[in-house]
Amino acid sequence: MRKALKVKVAAAMTVLILLLAGGVAMAEEMKMVGDVVKIEISGPDAKTAKATLKDTKTGELVVITVNDDLTLDKFKDHRIVVGDEIRCKYEVKDGKNVSKYFRKTAGC
Amino acid sequence: MRKGSGLAVFVAAMLLAGVAVAKEHPGREDIERKGYQGPSTCGAQGCHPGTAKEFLDTVHWKHASPVPNVEGLEPGKEYGMKNRIYTMCNGNDIVNNLKEIFNPATGKTKFSGCNSCHPGNHISDVGSVGKEAENAIDCLICHASKYDFRLRIAYEDKTGRVVMGQDRSKEAALSVGRPDVKNCMVCHESAGGGVLIKRGFAYTKETDVHAKNGMVCVDCHASTNHRIPTGFDPNNWASDGLRVSCEDCHQGMPHKDGDLNRHVARIACQTCHIPRTGGAIAKDFTRWTQGADKFYEPTTLKKEANETTPVYAWYNKTVRNGPHFIGPKGSREEKGSRIYPFKIFEGKAFFDKKTGNLLAMDFAPPMATGDALAGVASAAKTLGIQEYEPVPGWQTIYFGSTHLVTKEKALTCFHCHSRNGVLNFRALGYTEKEEEKLTNASIYFDKLAEQQKEEW
Repeated sequence: MRKALKVKVAAAMTVLILLLAGGVAMAEEMKMVGDVVKIEISGPDAKTAKATLKDTKTGELVVITVNDDLTLDKFKDHRIVVGDEIRCKYEVKDGKNVSKYFRKTAGC
Repeated sequence: MRKGSGLAVFVAAMLLAGVAVAKEHPGREDIERKGYQGPSTCGAQGCHPGTAKEFLDTVHWKHASPVPNVEGLEPGKEYGMKNRIYTMCNGNDIVNNLKEIFNPATGKTKFSGCNSCHPGNHISDVGSVGKEAENAIDCLICHASKYDFRLRIAYEDKTGRVVMGQDRSKEAALSVGRPDVKNCMVCHESAGGGVLIKRGFAYTKETDVHAKNGMVCVDCHASTNHRIPTGFDPNNWASDGLRVSCEDCHQGMPHKDGDLNRHVARIACQTCHIPRTGGAIAKDFTRWTQGADKFYEPTTLKKEANETTPVYAWYNKTVRNGPHFIGPKGSREEKGSRIYPFKIFEGKAFFDKKTGNLLAMDFAPPMATGDALAGVASAAKTLGIQEYEPVPGWQTIYFGSTHLVTKEKALTCFHCHSRNGVLNFRALGYTEKEEEKLTNASIYFDKLAEQQKEEW
């Protein structure tokens, strides 16, 4: 009986830890919609860029680090420019907001 | 796919890519000296004579063509995004023509319209003909790798006409070549109201085996005189009369396994090799949602590429077309039919109570104020429809699912032949007894057990 109780408590603790860990992991991925106010990219061969977005809900400026080739290419040929509205997901890594998803909201 | 043929395709693609990179455009010197003036430069010195005129007769310019495989259409009339309406795009080039839209809440304006992707300058618009139209073609948007998209914006000229700008710089012209994936996706990825909304596929090395092997769109959609072959998507009606299919490359018996090859007669390649789909699953044109910029968009449920599952149906490459359903025709009994996967989409819009037909919408009024019925009224005025009674209703659309091709994650025996398999055999016309047999592990047990032994 006592052993069974211990097992149940251990199982409950495990579930709790997993849930908390999951919560922490989810909290690391941030989502926002914002207008591009600045794009910093160093030339056509750049492998990274910084885009500053103005959060449409809070007005806060968020600097996003963009490393994926598709989005970098859109910066280089100006398919994404200052003024475009962006839907963005990012993760905080080493103090940087690293983009995981960076797309214009507009279409035709 | 046979290993040998796959390798051959890969090598061919690599060679072609190599040629594209290494080969210099023969007109380079001339462009460097004289600059680029548009299609007349391409046609000068006998380089591409008649090409501009030829392009005016393609779907990319006309946004329409004869459509022989869809029921309920007027004979002799051409159809396409020029004049079609359905509930993914409730407007079209005619009723939702590119224009400047004023937002009373902010005093700001923006340009929007279905024909914003048309490769002309809007003065010469969808389906226009003649010398002026020829000179208006934006060759470089499809052929230049260094196109500056800051120049491809709509503006009003001195006389108040809405003009679509183009990059006709020397730098862009010097980068011409065979269209790359980017050139196609500039327009094709944002159709239907945003990135990957309409078709819901991303053509990247992570999401498609052809992209992973270095192939570009025009390797399969290889044009002949600017006529670009397409598949038989039940919802993509216009075509240049040329067709593309998996079998163009993967002919005969594409698998090493005879059992899989036997399936090919009744199961389309896509059914096993495109197990996922994505993009918008539903959209409501009767209810527009205000965005951060205070403009409104139709309320849309969006999913990522590979985030949704397809629906499977028999398809004989002809299309049932009614106000509330656009989708495949075909049946188990019909020998020309095969089972295909489809991206399923549901759209809500206004229908005319008097005729039962779907009503078109000009997006300008609802985009500015959220008033969807004002959009219907504006479109009706453009089309000369005086009497109608708008009632909201739903339409189901089956989109062809022909990208997001996978080899590693392709469906295999148990994905279909099991109780919880992806195919609904009863809905596909099989009897209860047949279904019982077709969803039993005895069909493949010995074979998979043997494979399992080899794998481990």
